Amino acid sequence: MEMQESMMGRGRDAIEMIVDAGSFAEGTVGTEAFADPEFGPGAVVGTATVQGTLCTIIASDGGAMNEKFPVVYAGIIGLEEGYKMAEAVYASIAADAEKPLAEKRPLVLIVDTPGNGPGKVEEIFGMNKSTAAYQLALAEARLKGHPIIAMVIGRAISGAFLCHGLQADAILSLDAQFGTMIHVMPLTSVSRIIRKDLETLEDLSKASAVFAAGPRFFHSLGGVEALVETVEGMRPAIAARIAEVRTAKAEGRQDDLGPWGRGKLGEARGGRTERPRVIALMNREFAEVAGRYAPAR
Amino acid sequence: MALHTLELDLAASAAKVTLPAPSHTGVTGSSDLEIMLTPAPLSGRVTVKIVTPVTGFDPLWARVMQKFLDETGLYDTAIEINDNNATPAVVLLRLQQALAAAL
Amino acid sequence: MTNWTDLQSCRFIEASARERAIGLVDEGSFTELAGPFDRVTSPHLKLLGDAVAFDDGIVTGVGQIGRTPVFVISQEGRFIGGSVGEIGGAKMVNTIKLAIDFHDELVAKFADLDEEEKPMVVISFETGGVRLHEANAGLLAHAEVMDQLQKARGKVPVIALIGSKVGAFGGMGFVAAATDVIIMSEFGRLGLTGPEVIEQEMGKEEFDASDRALVFRTTGGRHKYIMGDANFLVENSIAAFREQVSALTGLSIEAFEEMRRIGSSAKVKAQLRAVALAAQMQPGDATEVWSHAGNTDAWGLIDLPLSDFLARVERLSV
Repeated sequence: MEMQESMMGRGRDAIEMIVDAGSFAEGTVGTEAFADPEFGPGAVVGTATVQGTLCTIIASDGGAMNEKFPVVYAGIIGLEEGYKMAEAVYASIAADAEKPLAEKRPLVLIVDTPGNGPGKVEEIFGMNKSTAAYQLALAEARLKGHPIIAMVIGRAISGAFLCHGLQADAILSLDAQFGTMIHVMPLTSVSRIIRKDLETLEDLSKASAVFAAGPRFFHSLGGVEALVETVEGMRPAIAARIAEVRTAKAEGRQDDLGPWGRGKLGEARGGRTERPRVIALMNREFAEVAGRYAPAR
Repeated sequence: MALHTLELDLAASAAKVTLPAPSHTGVTGSSDLEIMLTPAPLSGRVTVKIVTPVTGFDPLWARVMQKFLDETGLYDTAIEINDNNATPAVVLLRLQQALAAAL
Repeated sequence: MTNWTDLQSCRFIEASARERAIGLVDEGSFTELAGPFDRVTSPHLKLLGDAVAFDDGIVTGVGQIGRTPVFVISQEGRFIGGSVGEIGGAKMVNTIKLAIDFHDELVAKFADLDEEEKPMVVISFETGGVRLHEANAGLLAHAEVMDQLQKARGKVPVIALIGSKVGAFGGMGFVAAATDVIIMSEFGRLGLTGPEVIEQEMGKEEFDASDRALVFRTTGGRHKYIMGDANFLVENSIAAFREQVSALTGLSIEAFEEMRRIGSSAKVKAQLRAVALAAQMQPGDATEVWSHAGNTDAWGLIDLPLSDFLARVERLSV
């Protein structure tokens, strides 16, 4: 594996690599304008075309710092950022509310974020609501027919990846040669917290991807649909995924997409085999007693 | 480092009591354990399956289990335990509680 | 078997996940799904040589409150801090999915189905989020839960109960935020980043994680009630939580939508007014926000008996 120049902290560069040249209008989504440059600067939102298709773009800006909330820098999603991203999603839904399924604009999420804002003010005001608000908005857009593609270019870490990425219909990731980081915690920290030595964990992670770090392990768990080998490959890969997702939605195959679809993919790739087993067990057990919980008439 | 499984086949000194139905008690908390008691036709004997992160205490487990069986006279029962570093005193107490709850 | 009547007076904070699940619904009505007798234990813990649990630390099932089918998810904090792994996560996800599917089935079958006969979901949180031993699978399960919560919108109300020792933090902190209604006791704690991580990030002078009173002022039930994040604040007993859930059965789905903190553009705009206040105030302590909300003796609120607190407290309005 030959290492490639990392895209970490380069969310703005990635936008330019992915969208059609000169098409990105920052701060505008449908009728919503994000005019204040100091509002949620860690999140870049706007509208662009990708191979001619009008898309909403939501990216983390690793170079920005939020003056009002100093824990927000290097791509961290803060209180303002989470809500700003949510607003961009709701504005996309509103803009296409009257349009048929086939014309709902795609959302492209460019993912490079190390975390959610970890501060006292954040906890006092409820950072959990901000990140949840964005996730619910994405899930709503996805279920209303907007194709959502996440493109991991750098860091997709734990709760921040849940917030910005894991609600997408499909997730693409630059492969490991770009130093792409997808994990909950680095194995070194896992080792310290669960008190297992690192060598043993590294050894075990070869057989079991459930606690190992990196895009390839996520791929085997069905947490990432596909790996992209070059930066030039991002645009065509995203465009192709948008088309695939649109087809799946038109055919009513919503269950093959998004988090539930990735559950099925995890089973198909052999990475998450307990999940389907326990789901099937519960379904059988509930079917036996369901009548007891239905109205008696 | 895989989890350690210990299986025992024991009998109480005098068989006195068995269970009306399977029962589950306890939580595998730190220094604690959960216990599953299942009535089974074992010709008066008791099978024990202990799953624990701790190794090197097999004879102690056997002694604790035998003591419990002798004290209670439990027979025809399969005992399954998920342990998380419980002391012998806690194990005995939890077994007694589990039996009381099952009867 | 656990005596249902005895469970009612049980302190919620100390009750096990199963005691909460059984006690929250009507006597004898709870059926556990993928319960301990199924012996579905985590192979990932086993591989790492760590203790396993027959229910993987989460109790899932269905019961009734009056005429309402209630799907229950109850997390066990004593088992690895109530953390969410592959199996526990799948149990959680599928419980919500079963409720949604059951709703659709009942609506299709009974033309005259009334609100009280439609299912609801109750989640009793006690968790710090992802289980590190199987972190990736746990993370992916969180995303699935969020997906199901959105799918439940407009159909099945989801109620969060937070009053157990571990609280609701990490990824499960935002899962709780994404439910329709949050019921807390004053001993419940809700947040995203745990106190130790904040201390690590900001320094001990700014946030001392060992200062229990500070932690409660920042994430505890009373604070979350003042902020509007908790809809209801109840006594620390299973009966009190049960009564509050029971009072919500039969409400229209629109009424549940009203109680949400987030989930629409309008609600996000309202939250952004609170964020603007946060930027302007830069509170060093939650009590500064309580004062701003109109509580003249903010520090005095901390030790008031719950009923006096509820009678006197002013909640933040922005």
